[in-house]
Formats: sequence, C-alpha cells, structure tokens
Amino acid sequence: MSARNAAAGGGDRAGGERAEDVLVEENQCSSMSLTSLMTPSSAAGMSLNMEIPRKRKGSMDSQDRKTASTPDADMEDDQNGSDEDDQHVKIKCFREPHSQIEKRRRDKMNNLIDKLSAMIPTCNPMSRKLDKLTVLRMAVQHLKSLKGSGSSFSEANYKPSFLPDEELKHVVLKAADGFLFVVGCDRGKMVFVSESVTKILNYSRAELIGQSLFDYIHPKDMGKVKEQLSASELYPRERLIDAKTGLQVQADLPVGAARLCSGARRSFFCRMKYNKISVKVEEKEFQASTSKKKESQKYCTVHCTGYMRSWPTSQLGAVGEGESDKQDSSHFSCLVAVGRVHSHSSPQVNGEVRVKPTEFITRYAMDGKFTFVDQRATTILGYLPQELLGTSCYEYFHQDDLPQLADRHRKVLRSKEKIETNCYKFKTKHGSFVTLQSQWFSFVNPWTKEVEYIVSTNTVISHDHCRTSRSGNKSEQSSNSKTSEEDGKKSLPVIPGISTTPGSMIYAGSIGTQIANELLDFNRMNSSPSSGSVSPFSLPQDKCQQTHSQISNNVPNGEAADMEMPGKSSSEEEPQGATFSGGESLMGENSQLDLDSVVGPGLSNLSNDEAAMAVIMSLLETDTNLGEDVGFDEMHWSL
Amino acid sequence: MTADKEKRRAISREAARRRRRVESDVFGDLCRLLPLQPSVQAHLDKPSVIRLTLSYMRTHTLLKGKMEPKAEASHAVKHGEVTEGGEGRQECDGGCEEEERDTEDVEASEETNMYLRILEGFLMVLSTEGDMIFLSDNVSKYMGLTQTELMGHNIFEFTHPCDHDEIRNNLRLTAEEVWCGAKRDFVMRIKSALTHRGRSANLKSATWKVLHCQGRAKVCVAPSSVSCLVLTCQPLPLSHTLLSTHTFTSQHSMDMKFTYCDQRVTPLLGYSPEELLGRSIYSLCHTLDTNCLTKNHLNLCFKSQSVSGQYRMLVRGGGYVWVESHSAVIPSVRPSKSRPGAHQPLCILSVTYVLSGVEQPSLQLSLDQTVHRHSR
Repeated sequence: MSARNAAAGGGDRAGGERAEDVLVEENQCSSMSLTSLMTPSSAAGMSLNMEIPRKRKGSMDSQDRKTASTPDADMEDDQNGSDEDDQHVKIKCFREPHSQIEKRRRDKMNNLIDKLSAMIPTCNPMSRKLDKLTVLRMAVQHLKSLKGSGSSFSEANYKPSFLPDEELKHVVLKAADGFLFVVGCDRGKMVFVSESVTKILNYSRAELIGQSLFDYIHPKDMGKVKEQLSASELYPRERLIDAKTGLQVQADLPVGAARLCSGARRSFFCRMKYNKISVKVEEKEFQASTSKKKESQKYCTVHCTGYMRSWPTSQLGAVGEGESDKQDSSHFSCLVAVGRVHSHSSPQVNGEVRVKPTEFITRYAMDGKFTFVDQRATTILGYLPQELLGTSCYEYFHQDDLPQLADRHRKVLRSKEKIETNCYKFKTKHGSFVTLQSQWFSFVNPWTKEVEYIVSTNTVISHDHCRTSRSGNKSEQSSNSKTSEEDGKKSLPVIPGISTTPGSMIYAGSIGTQIANELLDFNRMNSSPSSGSVSPFSLPQDKCQQTHSQISNNVPNGEAADMEMPGKSSSEEEPQGATFSGGESLMGENSQLDLDSVVGPGLSNLSNDEAAMAVIMSLLETDTNLGEDVGFDEMHWSL
Repeated sequence: MTADKEKRRAISREAARRRRRVESDVFGDLCRLLPLQPSVQAHLDKPSVIRLTLSYMRTHTLLKGKMEPKAEASHAVKHGEVTEGGEGRQECDGGCEEEERDTEDVEASEETNMYLRILEGFLMVLSTEGDMIFLSDNVSKYMGLTQTELMGHNIFEFTHPCDHDEIRNNLRLTAEEVWCGAKRDFVMRIKSALTHRGRSANLKSATWKVLHCQGRAKVCVAPSSVSCLVLTCQPLPLSHTLLSTHTFTSQHSMDMKFTYCDQRVTPLLGYSPEELLGRSIYSLCHTLDTNCLTKNHLNLCFKSQSVSGQYRMLVRGGGYVWVESHSAVIPSVRPSKSRPGAHQPLCILSVTYVLSGVEQPSLQLSLDQTVHRHSR
C-alpha cells in the first residue's frame, strides 16, 4: 500500500522503504489531497481543519490494509501503477494508482454528505459546513422524526417500503393518468371505480359504480368491449405474433368450462363518454344529469389494460346480490383494468387545434401534383379536394408568381429546411384569386432519405399584408434568372415564354414535372457507387463530399460488425454512441430529422449498412425469450 | 526517535479506529431507520446508505401531502363497495381503528401491486437532473436490479447514450409546465440485467431494453423547491396478444412500405392486403400526422421498438380512422453469428389498433382515395 502511495506521491520509487517513511508518505498524501480538495470540483467552502481528519482516516485505512497485504504483491502493483495514466475510469483496473481510487471514493462520499445536509432542515441554516459525523447524526434524527409522523412502520407484518402504498397508489394513478375499474363480465356492471376517474372522465364515482359500463361506451365500440368481456367458451382463441418469425401462432388457452381462466390479459381501446358538465355529487341529481348527458356526447379514447379475475362469490359483499344470471353460481368473473387516457389529442379534438382557421394543408408529389388536400381548403379555395387531387399546383398559381414558386419548388426538393414562399395568388374555383403564403418542406423518409412528398402549410393572407412582399417578389424574379444561371442548372425555359393566353395554363403544369425531372437527373449524376441498392443510413445525395468520405472509410465486412456487436450489447461502458441530436426536433415542429448527425465517430468508421446493422442487432440480441413462456399466472405479456 | 514515532503512530491509529467505529455506528443507526428488510440492510455499503437515505427523504417531501388515506377508505366502507381483493370490508363502525388501518394497509398494498401489475411496468420518479428519486420495488422484475441498488442513482448511468439528449429534453420543465402537470411520453433504452430466462445477471453483461415512459410533471413541497417527473415505465413487448376485432398486423420494410398485411385490414380500412403491398405508410396517412409517424419511424430505427400514439389512416375511397400502432424491428431471417457481416434483412412488425370508426367517409383527402371512389 505504501508503495502505491509512494508512487502516487510522485516518485518512481522501487518500493522497499515502507515502515520508516510511512509518516512522510502520509503527509505527502495529505498534501496532495488537500490541494485537490481546494479545487472547485470539490465542495466549496470547506474548512481545512475539517478535512484533515477525514483524509487521514482514509490513508490510515490504506495503511492498515498494507500491513495485511504481502510485500510482493505491493511491489508488483506499484510497478504497474506508477506509469499508467489510463483515462478509462469506468473500468477500475489496478493500473490506476490507488490513491486516485481513494480520492474518488472520498469525493463521492463528500458529495453525498453535502446532498444529505442540503436535505435536512436543521442542517440548512448552518452557515459553516458541518462535518460528516454531525451530518449523519442529524440525518438519523431527521429520519426518526419522519417516521414518527404518521407512517406505520412498526407493524410486524408490514412490508417496509419507501413510500406508503396509499400514496404510491396515488402517484401511480397520477402518472398513468388512469383510473382503476372492475367490471363484471356478465352484464358489464361496474363494481369498482377508483376516485381518479373524476379527473379523467369527469363523472363522480357514485355516478358510475353499479352502472353498466356499456352505458358509457361509444355505441360502435360496444361489440368490441363485449368480446373482451366475453366469458364463453367460444371465445376466439388468442393469437400471438412470434417476433422471431413474424408469423401468427395460435395459442391454446386452457379455457375453463364456464369461466375465463384467471389472469388472461386484456388490452383494448374504447371510446368512453366524457362528462362536460360539472360533477354532481349528490345521487338524487343523477337522474337530471342522465338526461343532460345525452346532449353532451363527448368521447375520449381510453386504453384499457388489465386481466380477468374470478372470485368465489361467497367472499363478495353487496355486489353478489344483484347478479342472478351467473352461469357458475360460485364464481364472479370480472375484468380488472386500468383505463388510461392518451396524452395525445383525443379523436374528437381534431388535432388541428394549433392550426388557424384560415390555414389548410396540402401534399404535393415531387412534380407538384396534389396528392392530399385537407378539407379546409374547400372553404378557402372553393374546390373539393377531389377536384384538386391529381392536378398540378402550377395550374392554379398566378402567372406572375410562377417564377418564384418554381424557384422555391426547386429549393425545397434539395433542402431539408422549411421553405417559405412569398405571397402568391391562387386561383379559386370561381375564377378569382386568393392570396396565400405557404411553407413548404420536403418530407424525407427517415430510412431511405428519399423525398416522399412535399408538405405545404398554406395560410390566407389579407391583401394589405402582401404589398411589401410583392415588391420583393419582383426583385426576386430578376435575381431568379441570375441564380439559375449561376448554378448551372437548366434554366426554366418556360418563364420567359409564358404568355397570358389560356393555353399557357397547360404549359404551366409541366413546370412541376420539369423540376422534378431535374432533381432526378441531378441525383443520377451524383449518385455514389454504394447507392446502387437503397441502403439504410445513406446520406442525401446533395452532400456529395460526405458520401465520398463514407465510402473511403469502408471497413471489411466481417471485422467491423464483429467489433461492434459484442461491444454494444455486453459491456457496461458506454459504447461510442452518437448523440441523438434529433431529440429536440422530435419534440418540436421540425420536420426533417437527420440521421447524419447521429452516425457518430464510432459508427461512421463502418460502412452505412454495417452501422445500421450493428445498432439494431445489438438491440435485438437481447430478446430471444419470445413468446415461449406464456405464463398466465405471470399476468403479463410474454417478452 | 523511532520509538517516539511508533508511539505517535499507534495513538493516531487508535484514534482513527475509534472514529471509524463511531461513524460505523451512526451508519448502522441510519441504516436501521430505512424501510428495508434486515437482510438487505446488512449488505449495504456506506455510500448506498446515504443514497437511500436521500431517496427516502426526497420521496417523503416530494410525494407526501396527498389526499388523506383514511378519508377515502372510510368513504368506501360506508358505501359497502367491494374491492378487487374480494376481502369485503368488514362493517367497521369506527371502533376498531387499528384493525381498519391494517386492512387498509393491506388493501392499499394490494391495490398498488395490482396497478403496477396491470400497467406491466414500474414507477419512476425523476428529478430534473435525472436522479431516480424513487422506484417502485417491482423494478427488479424489469431491470434485474433492485430498488435499493437503483434508487438515488442517476438515470443517465443506466440509459443508452444516444437517448440522453431526448431524455434531457423531456426532463426540462418550465415552471408553468410543472404547475399544470405537463405530460411526457417517450421511448428510451435502459440497461437490463435480466438474462433471457429472467434471472438477474451482473450489470456488466447488461443488455438494452426498450422502455415506454409516460407520465407527468409534478410540483413538490418544501424544503428544496425541486420539481420532478412521475413516470410509469413499461417495457415494450415483442410478442403481442391479438384479439380478433379492430386490430390488424402488418409487416414493413425498413422504409415503412408494406410488405405484408393480414386480412383483417379489409373490414377496417377497406383495402385488400395486396393493394397495400409496396405502399408507403406515409402516403396512407393524414398529413398532419406526418410528425407522429416520423417520430415512430425514427424510434424504430434507433431503438428497435416504438409506440406510435394516435394518428389517422386514410380509408379506401374516403374518410379516415384513428389508429395506434405498436411496432418492433425484427430480423426477417435469424441472424447467424458465423456470418456477422452478411446483410440480414430487417423488417418492421406492426400491430395496429383501430380506435375509432370511419370518420367523414365521404371526404376524400388523398389522390389515392379518388381513384377508388366507386369501388368500395
């Protein structure tokens, strides 16, 4: 041990002097640790006096251990430890000087002690820093006080837990945004509903308990729910998908004579009524609310998951009385489930909440033909969607706007960004023009990186707003021709030749086709050898340089994959992961999610395909226990 | 000279031993106060004791102050309701306080266990820095690591580094979001020390498990004004139990084009399976849901499993339905270790639940729907 200390102390001592120089070494250790403790990384404001006892204890420990260990071992370790400066600190190997390990442990402990003192109310007001022992003692006191206030820990059969179950239950329901319910299988009678249903469906518990579940379900979903609750033998067999083969397999359920086997899982979505009116607590008002209910038929989608359960009716209290048609008089079958409302917008809230009423969305194929038209377009443009679908958008653009829109079209096919158009005129059904402004982006398939279509969010602009941008539009026109020449792309021959004759409209339609063809030609010219077959993670075509560098980094197949696969799945240390910078954009509105930035340093050394393969293989190798042990007493889906 | 030194060393050694003993005693006291089984207590090292103490304190301050448990229980007693446990409430007229409390405890415990079992997941409370303040004790069933091993540690130590940014984004909470209990819903990969057979292995041989985390932000009580996320975490299963109505399965190539669809899609969406082959799912869906599908697709590419959330699929000839898809990436062919570099074709397997009926059946939104106008 001391030999190690010696090494850490900065000497390359061969070892040997141990006993005599222990004190000296300790001091060296102390001084070293002191300086490290003075750095900002350690807790600030530490008083030196406090530190020395701790440190010395640490070094005392090591010294004690030293006496136990054999000299030879120490020697060896010392020689290894002295010249190693490996920064792979995740793996604690003996190559690291022991004092570093000790230091880290001390720091960690100090960190914890600081956190502890921050949490203890009595510690907080203290201006000076408390020493470790005091903090610990105060923690003991604090815990005792916490326990004293109402939590029943003292029961012999009580299962100790960090959170009393009552509270845990509330937390679970809050997190799950759900409510528990128990429904009899025969008539759908709700025998139990948890309190949290009020927050979710806005009905009071009293209103629901004893009622039939079917009264609260959307009429079209009743058949679905009935089937789920069905207790008959003729219940359709459950089908499983075996993820290994992707095939469906029939599972033979041990269905009992008249009841479902307990523990069978159920999972379904159904639309449940949502009470818009404030909850009436008193039961006598229930009748009134029933009639009002018919007016407010709001539904929300509830995901119900649970399992079947049957109890001997002898155990049940009041519920058993009303049930006269139980097939099996000694058992009451029911579904015990949790209903969760989805965090996404419910169906009846159209999902277009954020979109303003003067906005509509369209999709274009790459050549500008309408492939999708939102129904709101009808009020704005006068056309029904089917009248627009299949026609080219250029047929409706005003001639003055064709150049700038063509230019935007070209841009959007090559860019990942959202492209804003200037204001332009769109011909409505009745011949007049409406001024629109649009935001286009080309939607790219995340896997193939090919453009699937262009999405356009179109806003109606009042005429006034548009004046300034229209003047900008004119200057755009002149710069348009310039830029198109600069790029060396085929300049659009149609623009100069457009005339105001009606026949030009047909010509306009071909603008889009031309632009699309341009892109295809461009792609073909720049296609890299590796993209003969569509490979995953292949870079977009306009990033030629990167494509080339990827090719040059190709590693022979077998090696690379081998290297990555075991590494990723088996070791604790973080694999050379790439940062998933797409995180932000996923949350936000951004439409283009870039795989390029994800392929980080480690993966980019492989070819694209191997990288993809490696990542996915490592994930898949974990789960081979697929669908084999369908243990219903386990009450969870097979993994 | 040497003797003097010896003496001093001996004294300091004794002093150190005494200090250590005192410290150990205090640690022991602290340990015994923790709500753990004695067998677990015996094996805790000092940092763990502190870590768990911190968790305990944080859990209490963050999560206490909810509805009075007794109030709810007595309400239930009055109305003679039956709970799932089947242990009907005894007619307790308030005289048997102690008994009532015990029954409540047992029932609360059962109820909680049941929730967690039904939800098929565990509960996690995360601080905004990512510390796992609290985990329900069934976490060991999913991660192979026990509650005591994990509580107090930081989530970033256990999750896939590629997901860290996304997790960080989700942890970011503005004051307003905390106040109104903003929701969170995301997928992440977490280490699992479970072997294939469900036994716990060493963390060093941990594999990645895909977790679907859903929950809300929560505002907390003093002393330290920290907000946290309360999440339920469910592993996404790779096998699905299918029931006959309102679901269908489909297979896709990695670009989300259909390669197979089962027959049940026909009564639900109107398409025959053959019609769908080769079509991209993006062309079959409502444009406003493009983001939702993209996120799903990316989750699949990187994490191999995903839950899509609700989106609209266009019905043949007009209208749309709301659906939700649960998908996973699977190898089409069993990968063989002897040829690791060979291209293994992958495909996406999806189970799609249809949530609603056909909405606006006469409305044609896409070009494709106009083609099939009269052939429904």
